[in-house]
Amino acid sequence: MIQLFHVSKFYDRCAALDDVSFRIDKGECVILTGPSGAGKTTLLKVIFGAEIPDTGQILVQNRNVARLRGRAIPYLRRTMGIVLQNFQLLPKKTVYENVVLPLVIQGVKRREARKRVVDVLTAVGMDHKQTIRTGVLSAGEQQRICIARAIVNSPILLLADEPTGNLDAALTVEIVELLKRIHAQGTTILLATHNQRVVEQMSGRVIHLQAGHVVIDEGATS
Amino acid sequence: MRPLYLLREAMTNLRVNRGNVLIGIVTTAFTLVCFGVFVLLYLNLKNLTGTLQGDIEVVVYLDPGASEQVMSLVQKRLRTEPAAVALTFVSKEQALREFAEQFPEESLLLEGMDGNPLPASVVISLSPRFLDTESLGAFAERVKQLPGVTHVAYSQDWIDTLTLVVSYFELGAVVIGTILAVSTVTIIANTIRLSLYTRKEEIEILRLIGATGAFIAIPYVIEGTILGAVGGGLSLAVLKGIVEFFRLELSASGWFMGVEHMLPVFPKQVSFLLVMTGMLLGCGSSVLSVFGLMKVRN
Repeated sequence: MIQLFHVSKFYDRCAALDDVSFRIDKGECVILTGPSGAGKTTLLKVIFGAEIPDTGQILVQNRNVARLRGRAIPYLRRTMGIVLQNFQLLPKKTVYENVVLPLVIQGVKRREARKRVVDVLTAVGMDHKQTIRTGVLSAGEQQRICIARAIVNSPILLLADEPTGNLDAALTVEIVELLKRIHAQGTTILLATHNQRVVEQMSGRVIHLQAGHVVIDEGATS
Repeated sequence: MRPLYLLREAMTNLRVNRGNVLIGIVTTAFTLVCFGVFVLLYLNLKNLTGTLQGDIEVVVYLDPGASEQVMSLVQKRLRTEPAAVALTFVSKEQALREFAEQFPEESLLLEGMDGNPLPASVVISLSPRFLDTESLGAFAERVKQLPGVTHVAYSQDWIDTLTLVVSYFELGAVVIGTILAVSTVTIIANTIRLSLYTRKEEIEILRLIGATGAFIAIPYVIEGTILGAVGGGLSLAVLKGIVEFFRLELSASGWFMGVEHMLPVFPKQVSFLLVMTGMLLGCGSSVLSVFGLMKVRN
């Protein structure tokens, strides 16, 4: 699913990632941990093509992301769901309009799109708020909408960068449970967090980053 | 679903940024009015020049002592000229009659003279193909050489001046048109850039979920095109008003009595040109401002 070979990324000669190599298989749940500035976000960014590594290669579903041309990046992102800490929702659009957006981009027919959005909103427990603007929702609700949008096109890989970073303990549990349900349905998950309680609740393989290095890789398959 | 979505997004952009859009429309309209005034002046002057050139006649004055045979030979020779479309022979007597009719007060001058001092002449209407200065000059020169011809008259000088003015206008229209086009493109491009800036976060989100550069850019291009078209339409209305005003003023002044065809013309092509120019400028400027979206990797 994902393979990193000696990936390094520098910002002003400072290493954000330093010779990182690992492999994630299909259906795995991997939790990327480490303190702030350890390189978790940079690692996710090189995987979804927002950053180009200075050295090394990254294979995502057998495509070398490091060598992908800019115009191929959108098509790579359509195969994955991305959830970020700051929600990244369109506040003036309704819940439905936000969640349907990836399907609109991919040209899915209206009837099919509606069915998929309703299904996914039911799965995250937000189907009753379809017509509400996301700007007026609570933080937990916004993150659930964000996850719904990330999985609406049934991606085989879900990347989540600190998805509980802006949430309190109760909402964190809610989101973790949701992610576990998504994983149980066969989606590969790569979750970056510095929250130890999330790590314990998710119960997956843990990769610990420190100053851009992989210092712990528990349960690596190879 | 996708084209409708893109159109809806463009309309939302226009609604959300209505202040900037209004400024863009007014600026486009103003620019196109300036450009349109130039185009209309040019077209009307060209039209006027064409009309006047069509009315050019060459008058060949014959020697007062020329015999009937010589005069007949001159006419026969003139008929062979490809430039001459029609010939009208004006005898000495006819010339005197016409002079008396046209200038009744001055006809007394001729009464004190012995006989008729006015020469016979041949008035030649020219083919439009021979109305340029060079052909006309060459024709007059040839005719002057004919036996029995004393003088060849034609009023080309001031029409040449008018043609020169038209060519200056032509050049002016190109220069001013280019300057105005560049300024319009800059203003519309800035309007679109502002629109892009206000929706920066939205663009980032769209990129994150797999939107291509074209998908993000198309609503802005539609926005610019609509802005340009509305600006073009507005300029059309203003120009029509200006032309109508001048037409009424000129008619009321009475200066153009009997030659109404010389009053300002507003060809349909100009209307089409203005709206199309507005659309093209709008489309071009928005393409310029969203060009970066197509290649940025983030």
